[in-house]
Amino acid sequence: MVVIFDRLGYFFHETWISVRRNLTLTFAAILTVAVGAMLVGLGLMARSASSNALGRWQGGVQFEIFLQPTISGNQIDALGLELRNHPDIERIQFVTQKEAHELLQEILVDEPEVLEEVAPESLPASYRIVPRRTEGELIESLAAQFRQRPGVYSVETGRQQIDAIREWFNSFRWIVLLMSIVLSAASVLLIFNMIRVGMFARRREIEVMKLVGATNSFIRTPFILEGMLHGLAGGIVGAIAAGALRNHVEDLFGKSEILAFFRSFTVSSSQFNTAIFITVILGVVVGAVGSAFAASRFLDV
Amino acid sequence: MIRFEKVTKVYKEVTHALDDVTINIDKGEFVFLVGQSGSGKSTILRLITAEEVPTDGHVHVAGKDLTRISSRRVPYLRRNIGSVFQDFKLLPQKSVYENVAFALEVIGRPKNIINTQVPAILELVGLADKQQNLPNELSGGEQQRVCIARAFVNRPLILLADEPTGNLDPITAQEIMRLLDRINQTGTTVVMATHDQKIVDQMRRRVVALANGKIVRDQQQGVYS
Repeated sequence: MVVIFDRLGYFFHETWISVRRNLTLTFAAILTVAVGAMLVGLGLMARSASSNALGRWQGGVQFEIFLQPTISGNQIDALGLELRNHPDIERIQFVTQKEAHELLQEILVDEPEVLEEVAPESLPASYRIVPRRTEGELIESLAAQFRQRPGVYSVETGRQQIDAIREWFNSFRWIVLLMSIVLSAASVLLIFNMIRVGMFARRREIEVMKLVGATNSFIRTPFILEGMLHGLAGGIVGAIAAGALRNHVEDLFGKSEILAFFRSFTVSSSQFNTAIFITVILGVVVGAVGSAFAASRFLDV
Repeated sequence: MIRFEKVTKVYKEVTHALDDVTINIDKGEFVFLVGQSGSGKSTILRLITAEEVPTDGHVHVAGKDLTRISSRRVPYLRRNIGSVFQDFKLLPQKSVYENVAFALEVIGRPKNIINTQVPAILELVGLADKQQNLPNELSGGEQQRVCIARAFVNRPLILLADEPTGNLDPITAQEIMRLLDRINQTGTTVVMATHDQKIVDQMRRRVVALANGKIVRDQQQGVYS
């Protein structure tokens, strides 16, 4: 046990000396990892946000008819029958008040106090409609037909808008993914180089270590730890930056009327935590890969 | 303890550093390797520490055939071998104590062992009062004694010395030889490559003379030439 502590003490001491020696390079490596990790975090959050917001528009649903909370069961059935028999409608899906409440629960998972104010009975049930064809005019005319029916609260269309936004989010994700791959590669190379410089600075020590019979893994461990430490620091900075940006953007969506549409693009706290966790882990992995690569390359017996 | 069987070492397919060398060194022997620069002395030492592998033949050290052991085992082999150098190879930013302790730290020896063994070995080499000095505050002879302390602190079976007196004045060289002799008397096998005729002639130990990678003379209680 004592030996293990002695050894850990040795590793952290050596790692710390090396970090201090290379302060500027350390800083550059951490920043690069941070930017790369931040982009990955943002990309993950964007993906969650877009799938959250677009959830109900999956499976070809083109518009949704919301019903008055006061509507009677007979009226619901009559409307359902009419929709089902409509020649332009492929199929429909009924969302009960209870289901609507469950959906709201998912969206408001971070704001339970708001959710408490909303009773399931006050929410509209709805029909989600999959038409036979998806031209905008057909959808508009179908929506218009049902908008004035008794018991109908409102009709929401938005397929084209949704498509545009989905596409925008998709390309955002791809750009972010591409940039984060490039930056991760740059981070690996920077850490690789930094560890190589560190090893060169300590070549005499390494020579003596080999002579007296230190194992390769013993010699390598402080260097790999150093790389992982930089990766961890970069990952944490990146995660903080991604978190701050997310809050800023959600604020912006909340305040601006122009961006009001985006208000449904929210990230739940569990999705946020996952994104942050992956961001930090990515930093550590980048650091470990760069330093392990350098350590194995420049430490032959 | 050390056995070379028909060992040939060729560098870059042209230079024959060692040519069909067979030699046997027993436990507790003190052996001088003599010969001109490039005769193959250093190659023998580097083959013993497994820094080089023979092109042909077998090298046995402490009962192990070095051509057959995996590279993972090499560090453990080296823990049985202490090395002393002409240029000392001390770490300039570490104190005398730290330089010696370093050799134990990096093979994972516990702190309490280090705390007792390092002062003991520094006492043995006569540097008990210079433990906290840095290498550049010491004379050449003192630096060499630190190097010997570092090589011997783990009580190796074999001590290899490559021109240990090469940078020292004759009187200091004598002191270093007395120290190596004492270490030899504890049962440690000592192999020393040297150009120092006076020392070889004075010590009267086994002398193995090399020329162009071949053994040209192997003499008990021998002289330099």
